[in-house]
Amino acid sequence: MSKLAVSHKKSKIPVVEKEIWVENRLGLHARPAAQVALLAQKFDGDVILEKDGTRANARDLLALLALDCPQGTRLVLRATGPQAQEAAVALFSLFASKFGEK
Amino acid sequence: MTRKNLVLEGIPASPGIVLGRAKVLAEKVEAQPYYCLLYSPEEINDEMGRFLKAVEQAEADLIVLKESLSPEYQEHAHLLDLQILVLKERMIFQETQRLIREERYNAEWALFQAWQKVRELFKGIGDPYIKGRIQDVEEVYRRLQSILAGKEALSLSSQEPVVIVARDLSPAEATQMTSSQVLGFITERGGRTSHTAIIAQSLEIPAVVGVDFATREIATGDALILDGLTGRIILEPDEELSHSYRARKEEFEVFKGEVAQSSSLPATTMDEYPTQILANIELPEEVELGLKYGADGVGLYRTEFLYLRQRHLPTEEELFQDYRRVVEAMQPKVVTIRTLDIGGDKFLSALEYAPEMNPALGLRAIRFCLKEVNIFRTQLKAILRASAHGRVRVMFPLISSVREIKDARQLLEGVKQDLEREGLPFDPRMPVGAMIEVPAAVTLAHLLAQHADFFSIGTNDLIQYALAIDRVNKQVADMYQPLHPAVMLMIREVVHAARVARIPVAMCGEMAGDPLYIPVLLGLGVAELSMNAVAIPMAKHIIRMITIEEARKIARHALRLVTVEEVNDYVDQEINRRFPEIFRFGRTMAANHAI
Repeated sequence: MSKLAVSHKKSKIPVVEKEIWVENRLGLHARPAAQVALLAQKFDGDVILEKDGTRANARDLLALLALDCPQGTRLVLRATGPQAQEAAVALFSLFASKFGEK
Repeated sequence: MTRKNLVLEGIPASPGIVLGRAKVLAEKVEAQPYYCLLYSPEEINDEMGRFLKAVEQAEADLIVLKESLSPEYQEHAHLLDLQILVLKERMIFQETQRLIREERYNAEWALFQAWQKVRELFKGIGDPYIKGRIQDVEEVYRRLQSILAGKEALSLSSQEPVVIVARDLSPAEATQMTSSQVLGFITERGGRTSHTAIIAQSLEIPAVVGVDFATREIATGDALILDGLTGRIILEPDEELSHSYRARKEEFEVFKGEVAQSSSLPATTMDEYPTQILANIELPEEVELGLKYGADGVGLYRTEFLYLRQRHLPTEEELFQDYRRVVEAMQPKVVTIRTLDIGGDKFLSALEYAPEMNPALGLRAIRFCLKEVNIFRTQLKAILRASAHGRVRVMFPLISSVREIKDARQLLEGVKQDLEREGLPFDPRMPVGAMIEVPAAVTLAHLLAQHADFFSIGTNDLIQYALAIDRVNKQVADMYQPLHPAVMLMIREVVHAARVARIPVAMCGEMAGDPLYIPVLLGLGVAELSMNAVAIPMAKHIIRMITIEEARKIARHALRLVTVEEVNDYVDQEINRRFPEIFRFGRTMAANHAI
């Protein structure tokens, strides 16, 4: 029947979870998605963005676009790896800045 | 193979004639990626190297392209940036490498498989803008495949100007074109309002779109004639045909020059009767085209775009910003904003309207707005706020009763009070118009005139409803006749009612921009015509060559005729007699850019 969720017991790897909202008017379209991907690539570790159970690696421009996030979408950001904290904070501020949209 | 004088037909998308040689952009894409398995680790290594080299070259090409963008296209540089990113994107870059290594596919096949997955992924996307980005991925994919196939990279820096032949032109490709390199465009896909058409029009080079199999029938280096007036392409023309087209081209150039001169002049008849020629627009960006072609203002600003483009309702602020941009750019000329003209069926899924049996007769336009008053109020508020930044008029579409215009005006007054309370500026005397598009509104025009500051006749709908013709239906499309006696009598009646009430009458809709109809309309008393920007110079040209007396005479005579066939023959004759060159070129030139 239903599988048990596997809990992450690799306790040495930092994991950061954060709720993120897409606040800019145009949503996560090409330019913002490119900004996210470029930023995510700068950090050591993985960043996953999850929308209603669908996941995208934050480094994958195309996967981000395919998440299909208009304004008002709620995302869960999950960063793992040595720079998890830094990555989470940086991405959070990028979303909060509305990607420089007016 | 004898290709002499082979004729291909398409949709004329930008007027003009050229004789030149073809450059086919899509030919390399036609090569289907083939499949083969690699055997040895050496082979796999070589294949990896081949792929990485292709990516490198593609990146270098894209950077060169980006740097060589002409200044007017700098804003499109980000499209090329996006493509550069896509090149190294995991789903393309890593996935292809993985397939080469693990599945032992050749690079072409591995890339093809990776691309297929991306395409699958994008199928589920709802947002049309994001979905459209698949085009950029496709371009990257094609570029890589053509490099792998050892063909020349997509490059337009040919020494000799050429006629570009392609399946379709993406925005990024189109931006690389300048009129010094490109004589014309031929594409397989696209319609009158496609990207190619718009680019060609703004570069003022001829284009024919929707030409089936163009990239298969035409080869690079083929001599051809491209006639953007008729939509015809002639391959390998013989000397006789070339000669006659050269003459036609020259005639057209002279004619075009004369017409262009009219665009900056006032639209006044030879006997000094003043008229107004305005532009129909949909996107704020189109204002520039309108100004370029000498519009006296915007006679129809369609506002549906922002509602259809995104899944959430646009906010007052978003609407206001768009309207303000248009109003400020047109200043001090007038901008006529049509409130939401949309059917419940086309509308946002959020509102969950059941599909209608007969949407043309259903809940749409003002009916929809009066039902969804909150959506309507938000729009009215944004329009009023924009009215503080220039000259704004508002008009309500599909009015069919006095009650509707009274209700709409009452809502507008309520919104004005809200704005006063909020201390936001607006023009308290912003004119309010009724669109005359339903036969009932024609019959009631004298009553509607008591509640409207102006009329605007929307001919597309009026003709459809008056003649009960759906012109998309091929069985009856030929019965869609703007000069049908019933339509002319209706126009006369509306003009009369407006004159009695001393309010102006405008017309928007395809009929208003058709050179053949302009003298009749003028004669019927419609002195304000709104049309697609490109049609404006021609309209002004005609108006400046006729007297209002002549126009009235034509209209009077046309009104006495009994059948539409008689009217058409008569008007054809009159125009042909007075303006033979307009009859030859002008009609196609403007009709190409029908709404």
